[in-house]
Amino acid sequence: MKTPPNRRLFFLITLVVVGGALAALIFSSFTDALVYFHTPTEALAKTQDLNGKKVRIGGMVQTGSLVKESGTLKIRFQVTDGKNQTPVRYEGMVPDLFREGQGVVVEGIWHAKQDFIADSILAKHSEDYVPVEMSEQGVAKAKESLLKSLK
Amino acid sequence: MWIEIAHFSTLMALVLSGVLLIAPLVGLRWQRVVWIRVGRQAAFLICALLTLAVAGLIISFLKHDFSVKYVAEHASLKLPVFYLATAMWGGHEGSLLLWGWLLSLFVAIAAWRHWATHPVSMPWVLSILGGVLLGFLLLVVFLSSPFERLLTPPFDGRDLNPLLQDPGMVFHPPFLYLGYVGFAIPYAFAMAALITSQGDSEWILATRRWTLFSWAMLTIGIVFGAYWAYYELGWGGYWAWDPVENASFMPWLTGLAFLHSVMVQERRRMFKTWNLFLIITTFALSLLGTFLVRSGVLSSVHAFATDPGRGVYILLFMAVLLLFSFGLLTRKADLLKETPQLESALSKEFSFLVNNLFLVAGACTVLLGTLYPLAMETLSTAKVSVGAPYYNKVFIPIMLGMLMLMGVGPTIPWQKATFSRLRQEFLLPLIIGIIGALLAPLIGISHPFGAIAAGLILFVGTTHLKELTRNTRIRMTRESLSAPSALLRLVNRNKRRYGGMLVHLGTLIMVAGFVGSGLFQEEKDVFLGKGDSMQIGSWTLTLETFHQTAQRNWHADEAVVRAERAGDSALLLKPQKRVYNEHSQPTTEAAIHSTWREDLYVVLGDGVKEGVWAFRVYRNPLIAWIWVGSGIMMVGVFWAMLQGRRLQRT
Repeated sequence: MKTPPNRRLFFLITLVVVGGALAALIFSSFTDALVYFHTPTEALAKTQDLNGKKVRIGGMVQTGSLVKESGTLKIRFQVTDGKNQTPVRYEGMVPDLFREGQGVVVEGIWHAKQDFIADSILAKHSEDYVPVEMSEQGVAKAKESLLKSLK
Repeated sequence: MWIEIAHFSTLMALVLSGVLLIAPLVGLRWQRVVWIRVGRQAAFLICALLTLAVAGLIISFLKHDFSVKYVAEHASLKLPVFYLATAMWGGHEGSLLLWGWLLSLFVAIAAWRHWATHPVSMPWVLSILGGVLLGFLLLVVFLSSPFERLLTPPFDGRDLNPLLQDPGMVFHPPFLYLGYVGFAIPYAFAMAALITSQGDSEWILATRRWTLFSWAMLTIGIVFGAYWAYYELGWGGYWAWDPVENASFMPWLTGLAFLHSVMVQERRRMFKTWNLFLIITTFALSLLGTFLVRSGVLSSVHAFATDPGRGVYILLFMAVLLLFSFGLLTRKADLLKETPQLESALSKEFSFLVNNLFLVAGACTVLLGTLYPLAMETLSTAKVSVGAPYYNKVFIPIMLGMLMLMGVGPTIPWQKATFSRLRQEFLLPLIIGIIGALLAPLIGISHPFGAIAAGLILFVGTTHLKELTRNTRIRMTRESLSAPSALLRLVNRNKRRYGGMLVHLGTLIMVAGFVGSGLFQEEKDVFLGKGDSMQIGSWTLTLETFHQTAQRNWHADEAVVRAERAGDSALLLKPQKRVYNEHSQPTTEAAIHSTWREDLYVVLGDGVKEGVWAFRVYRNPLIAWIWVGSGIMMVGVFWAMLQGRRLQRT
């Protein structure tokens, strides 16, 4: 049995409308949800452009920079990429993998010339554990590759 | 010693998969059945050899053979035996070998079971599966070998990642792989049908059980992963739209679309090209999933740079597979001419078409979100992430649309429905659904999506129950049976239909769990000293004590929290911060109390000052429904699997 042409058109229109609506939904949600990643150096260079935007800043937690406010969950620390630092403030529980000298990604709204207020902290998960008794050189290399992979 | 045996048998299996690829083709070309038989025997041998290889690697683990690099990196002397054996798939290299072994097992079963029934397509099936095996084993042997040795074996290994030392994570990968690998068989049958110009539907009938099985295994794998994330990672949720999760979700979606649309081909001889497209896509996404997760591409695109061989090889493998499959599909397009066409939008065919549209749109959503950051990073220097809000925004409407279709699809007639029939089928469920959605805010479901979902759940539930009671009644009067035995007869007679409906019922329960835990989760951060209390929901939590505890390979700080509510006896929750001996990294062990109504989920944080600790407490309503619903789904799938072909109407 052959489908009459006007009914075919109806099918086609239904599919195009439903498919189009789905595609529109996907793409409109997509562009809103993109969050760009920057190292402290990049963020500093683009500090005016980024103002008011949601960003991720990644690097290492600077050794010796972590300050905990006693009696609260407020913390302050510096995220460094070896050249520049971004001062970060955060309140809440931190992930297990978060500590000084480790890789970290913080997410939040960038405000030029202010401390970065992080909404969330993502510590770098790695499948391959770095052995504890690693040589100096190994540590340096691991840092390098970590920074590279965070970039 | 064992590792050499494992290595050697993998090499032999590699050579034999070349034989499996070529011998059946030689047999076809020169009309010599004996060569096709050679291919079949090769399939059996490969399976035996890879079984030996997997056993060899596991024995190397059990014997703490740290001269094997892979063992040294994923085990230690103190690792318990259970995790020692299962550490075999704790890393990339070993899990690829496991994948290859499962594939060889399925190939052998297919060669055994379908040999007599499908003599025409069998040589091609063998050859195609030989090609896939060859591609995989080349990767295992040359680019990702678990058999590499260390010149100076360390005294002790690096130990298994503590997050993986958990039963949930032990069984998660094998089930996922069973699912991924299982799709290879329908894929091979589809390609063989195209090559031998059997554009008809025999391949679909032959592989129905394979497809159902694979999809079921994939579901179990995904649910295991979600459950593990829920109770092991300690963030109160179960699904984070992580690329690794997405990788397994994509073939699940297209596989589900395939399961539905083959019914249309079976019944109405339509959607032939579409079904081929779906099975090719599903298998390709299964491969992509394996590769994305297991090549290290995802943890960093720079894995391409550190091991360019592996990345390029994977791209090449995918390119060959896709070019071959879609090339074949276009060449044979004229074979797939469809005589019957859609007659009405008010038909089962059309509802399945829209169902497929939704599922494929879902798969595209995930694909875009997963691959876009990788593409951006490779093509430019910008690094970008796509967060959960994107997926949630797209998937909530998709899920609601799917629910609607789930109510319509099973009971709407084929070809063309009359309005009186529609009224008879759907008027009552629609009224119940609408009333439910309107009343939902009164019982606290204030969110519009929650109310719509509640209405749809009622709508779908009613259509299904209505159909079930009606057919049971018919049987009761016709065969003068009691209600339970009539129901049993009915469900037993048409296992496919009622198995499918049971899957739908399980899905409804799961969706209730998604909505409950997604919209109504309560979360509190508090500081508690000894004797301090807090409130969450109807619960009162009091910190009783705080102490140290230890086991063979870990020690932990543990808090003892008493949870009480009116009318219930008190219970003790013991969240921990655990440190495994071989690792300095603490891991969070959440304490969970699960009831059918809600889960109480307590996570221990750091000490904030002397004698006071931070706690994060969640109340997750209905989350247990997700696990129960998935269990019901699995019962339904296996029930449907018991029946091979559709009942012939007489």
